[in-house]
Amino acid sequence: MSAPAIEIRALSAGYRDTLVLREISCSIAAGEIVGILGPNGAGKSTLFRCLTGLLRPAAGTVRIFGHDAFSLSAPERARLVAVVPQEVETPMAFTVEEVVGMGRTVARSRWAGAPGARDRQAVERALAYTDTADLRHRPLSSLSGGEKQRALVALALAQEPRLILMDEATSHLDLNHRLEILQLVERLQSEQGLTVVMISHDLQLAAEFCQRLLLLDRGRLMADGAPAAVLTEEHIKRVYHCAVRVQSDPQSGALHLMPTPRLPNGGAVGRGVHVHVVAGGGCGEETLRRLALCGYTLSVGVLNQGDLDAEVADALGAKLALEKPFSHVSSAALAAAQALSKQAAAVVLSPAPFGPGNLPNLELLEAAQAAGQPVFICDEIEARDYTPGHTAIARVKALLAAGAVAWHTPTDLTERLRERVTVGSQQ
Amino acid sequence: MNRRFAILLLLAPLLLALCLAFGASGFGFPVPAWDNEIFWLRLTRVLAGFVTGAALAVAGVVLQAVLRNPLAEPYVLGVSSGAGLGAAVAILGGLGALGAWPVPLAAFVGSVLSLTLVYGLANDHGRAPIYGLILSGVIVSAVASSLLMFMVTLAPVEGLHSVLWWMLGNLEVGSVQLLAVAATGMLTGCAAAWMLAPELNALTLGTDMAHHLGVRTRLAVGGALICATLITASAVALAGLIGFVGLIVPHALRAWLGPEHRRLIPAAALGGGVFLAVCDALARTVLAPVEIPVGVVTALLGGPFFLLLLRRRRGGGWLE
Repeated sequence: MSAPAIEIRALSAGYRDTLVLREISCSIAAGEIVGILGPNGAGKSTLFRCLTGLLRPAAGTVRIFGHDAFSLSAPERARLVAVVPQEVETPMAFTVEEVVGMGRTVARSRWAGAPGARDRQAVERALAYTDTADLRHRPLSSLSGGEKQRALVALALAQEPRLILMDEATSHLDLNHRLEILQLVERLQSEQGLTVVMISHDLQLAAEFCQRLLLLDRGRLMADGAPAAVLTEEHIKRVYHCAVRVQSDPQSGALHLMPTPRLPNGGAVGRGVHVHVVAGGGCGEETLRRLALCGYTLSVGVLNQGDLDAEVADALGAKLALEKPFSHVSSAALAAAQALSKQAAAVVLSPAPFGPGNLPNLELLEAAQAAGQPVFICDEIEARDYTPGHTAIARVKALLAAGAVAWHTPTDLTERLRERVTVGSQQ
Repeated sequence: MNRRFAILLLLAPLLLALCLAFGASGFGFPVPAWDNEIFWLRLTRVLAGFVTGAALAVAGVVLQAVLRNPLAEPYVLGVSSGAGLGAAVAILGGLGALGAWPVPLAAFVGSVLSLTLVYGLANDHGRAPIYGLILSGVIVSAVASSLLMFMVTLAPVEGLHSVLWWMLGNLEVGSVQLLAVAATGMLTGCAAAWMLAPELNALTLGTDMAHHLGVRTRLAVGGALICATLITASAVALAGLIGFVGLIVPHALRAWLGPEHRRLIPAAALGGGVFLAVCDALARTVLAPVEIPVGVVTALLGGPFFLLLLRRRRGGGWLE
């Protein structure tokens, strides 16, 4: 068993009199791809400087493949560790090939006029791997951000290191180029067995690409483990002081982090106003989200369990009237929904499709209209009626004829609701 | 790139030979013979010009790379004012009458002292931050210049003239031994600088990045500064203050050949040497028998040429 790529024991470090890192311990095995996360000032950069031997630890040790990181000589370290920085400013017009060739600073003989075969080979491989061979004669500073970052990865590769440290290497790239660089690094890790440690601000991408995350908080290691175990809502609230929702993507299992919804005007428009929404088939999602953003208190039904709308409504804190999955709306469920809609200041029909199963939901709207509650109906019902005799179209037209308000977009809906329904109109 | 370097290699000896033909005594190739005094006079002068120009250009290349500053030149770290002060003390103290050595020695000591002072002021726990170096260089220069000016105001007229002449640069060789010693210093510095070429390349990416690439940065920066000091102090001791060569030759050649230091340093040595030798030949002959200070010629010739180059090849060497 060879030494771990990085072994940190009780590391404390800082500048002058202030300690930034306190008592950090962890070990990163060779071949791992690990992300170091944390808010500004958490100690990510200090940890990075300890890993690269730029900073002497105040206490504890940092070992790179078994060697002490600080006492390792610069040339020895460069053979083990390469760095991809956030950006490199070279004031001179070095070409991409010349810059990548600087990866051989240590390896190349000082005495030979031209680089040796091995150096040339390392540079060529790095250029080919990062797809920068076509850029070789261009000055580095003339490249776009994404190209420049690829060239810097090539520079790191030319060193033929065993460990690559990425210091916010994708922070100033757009999403497309971030993915490109991270996929490149992922490929390096899987094909060449390189160990990759990336310091990042992008929680989501770090969760996507890293097998393991370290979360730093005010100089301490707050969490260490698989992305799903580290990026919990509770951890993020504690470390970043902001509320997010963490969900795993139903298609890929990837983690999604979302800031919890902000309310326009602080949600003053709809505060205290109860709206009942008839949704279903995953088509009411946007309507529900918009109404929740405006601060309306929501109830929804009848929905089948497992319907996407039911999940969204639940997440938004709405009261639900539910039916079993793939079942016709029963009279019991309808009664439960009616109990909810009766208390509402308005009843809204979202762009839900109708079939024989959920047709009874229209009774909710008819009952509300009969009781004098304002009813808001999403137009173009013709496209959503899947009942055999087009009964839904006929019944909705009857509702509209009797004074129900038609709406087209969620913005229409919220405008009309604001005009016609206020706190006072609650029944 | 290689063809351009070859052009330089070919052109240099031709131009140097041509310089031999220029002299205060008229145009014409002197007969290379042991007893031909004109030949020896001109040869030593052309050699002094070549070595000094080469040395100043290499020092400029080194300092521009280490300080990552396009305005860096051999005199940026206070070397010129220190040397000027040292020379003025020697000249006005009457040491000039004692032979060819005292004034150059005083200039050498002055420049080494001022650089040590600059480095000491910028030093922060064993590391010398780049901006700290530049700033303390400016400050030491300013202080040394005021002291120099103060001394000049008190000086008698003849002394004033000598100091002024010395400050404008003069390639007339007082003694062949002095030329040999100074040239040894300069050439050693240039060779050492060329040895540091890989480190200089890496340092242009910044000291941290150079560190990641395996450069022992403290050693490399220190070594490069010592090279530049040795070169500049030797050049100043031999020929006084000759401006512009160390600033424009590096820029011109970087624009022409690219910034890779393994190639740039020998090219700057050749280019700088030829440039100064040609400027000196012109200084001797244009207004003969009156000699123009060579520093005036380098500036008058180099300035417009440099501007032309800057306009034509914008971004070729130093990108903004």
